[in-house]
Amino acid sequence: MIFETVAITEFLKLHRARVHWFTLGALMMGPLGLALFMWIAMEPDRAATLGLLGTKAELTGIEATWASYSGFLVQIVGTGGMLLLAFIVAYVFGREYDEGTAKNLLALPVARHWFVLAKFIVAGAWWLAIVVAMLAEAVVIGLALGLPGFSATVVVQTVGNALLAAGISYLLVPVVAWITVWGRGFMAPLGFALGMLLLGNVFGSTGWAVWFPWSIVPLLVGSVGPAVSALPAGSYIVVALTFVAGVIGTIAQLRYADCAQ
Amino acid sequence: MSTDSVITTRALTKRYRDVLAVDSLELDVRCGEIYGFLGRNGAGKTTTIRMLLGLIRPTSGEVRVLGQAVRDGDQRWLARVGFLVESASAYPNLTVRENLDVQRRLTGAAPGSVERAIDRLGLGAYADRVSGKLSLGNKQRLSLARALLHEPEVLLLDEPANGLDPAGIVEVRALLRELADERGVTVFMSSHILPEVAHLADRIGIIHEGRLIEEAGRDEFTARARAFVADSLTAEEREQALLTADLERYFLARTGTSEPGDAA
Repeated sequence: MIFETVAITEFLKLHRARVHWFTLGALMMGPLGLALFMWIAMEPDRAATLGLLGTKAELTGIEATWASYSGFLVQIVGTGGMLLLAFIVAYVFGREYDEGTAKNLLALPVARHWFVLAKFIVAGAWWLAIVVAMLAEAVVIGLALGLPGFSATVVVQTVGNALLAAGISYLLVPVVAWITVWGRGFMAPLGFALGMLLLGNVFGSTGWAVWFPWSIVPLLVGSVGPAVSALPAGSYIVVALTFVAGVIGTIAQLRYADCAQ
Repeated sequence: MSTDSVITTRALTKRYRDVLAVDSLELDVRCGEIYGFLGRNGAGKTTTIRMLLGLIRPTSGEVRVLGQAVRDGDQRWLARVGFLVESASAYPNLTVRENLDVQRRLTGAAPGSVERAIDRLGLGAYADRVSGKLSLGNKQRLSLARALLHEPEVLLLDEPANGLDPAGIVEVRALLRELADERGVTVFMSSHILPEVAHLADRIGIIHEGRLIEEAGRDEFTARARAFVADSLTAEEREQALLTADLERYFLARTGTSEPGDAA
């Protein structure tokens, strides 16, 4: 009952905020940009008439097929989305410090771990909603473009891979929440997320990729080489441990550290 | 420890590296009284209130509020406490009513409590305005409404008059007096403004550089202040002080708010 109440209030706090529209817009730009490149790749003559943009599209060597389109969509969710999800979590936790309400929250007759869990629920629901909206948009755009190779199997595979990448990204994000409450603001977690994205890509090219949490998604979606068809069990354990460490760290930070906001 | 103490601290100390923010503080705030905690900026008032609420951990010493040792992991006792810490704050994208509704749900207050708090703090005209567009004074009223929403037994108020105009200060003063006299609410309020505290508090404690340097009932405190003024201020300084008081009374009378006994 307490958790339900806390979760409801966390959703209420988003009312009239514009930030979820911003994140939705940012993620939905991905398929639009990708579609433009696909459209150019479908008709090589278009590249010549589009100047630099056309040249860039040619250089990427994109194939105008559903299989290629699907692969890039999963990469958008897996890599760009990882950064966007970090922004969402930094906002959900960091706004309490930015708006001066953390002190009000932490002196309520509610155990602090309920707020942490409720905020993770809100961030998860928000993330799932924008990923699903983006995938729906991508399917519509793909059909409108008339890309060859469309089938229900391709769509199911795309959605499945994208949701797996989104899910693994979500499991990594409690560490971002921990850094947000430790740093009491937005800058530290966003810097951390950007740093991990870069490090993930660096480790992705080494033999350590399956063990470094932030390399696992790039490895899975193929943004650091060919996408792997299956991750070793150890990678899932690393991700699970990262999730648990992030949740425990966030709760411990709120419970035991001074709130001198 | 005194049995009728609602707030008790024993040897309460908070140190930030080289800075001793609160030093061996001993407080006993009795049930139903208004305790004015007076001190200059940086004296340790806000740090003390944060420790009373469990927002920061004491370096050493003990804090008890409503008989409950603070910071043992159980926060349920906070349902009996209303508070305002330092600056007024609210979710800027939510209206006054929505902000209070969030608080109501989290404190388990009755649904009608939101409207009561809005009326009590004179926020009716602003109830559907997003809090990000409120004036500083109305944000302060919203914070006070939030503190009072769940009919707490204890109020911990850090500079409650911050941002309020003179009429607002008088209204809040009257409200706190009513809560203490008629409902037995214990009020612990900090301020750096002596007249604000002297008008309202039953007892006054002065904190300076983290230490409680003086504590007395209001009458005794007023007598000490008068004796000090008589001994140390020039006639011109006394005249200036009286003029300030007269000007404030005149302003209050002209803007439609005056305290009992004030010149109209």
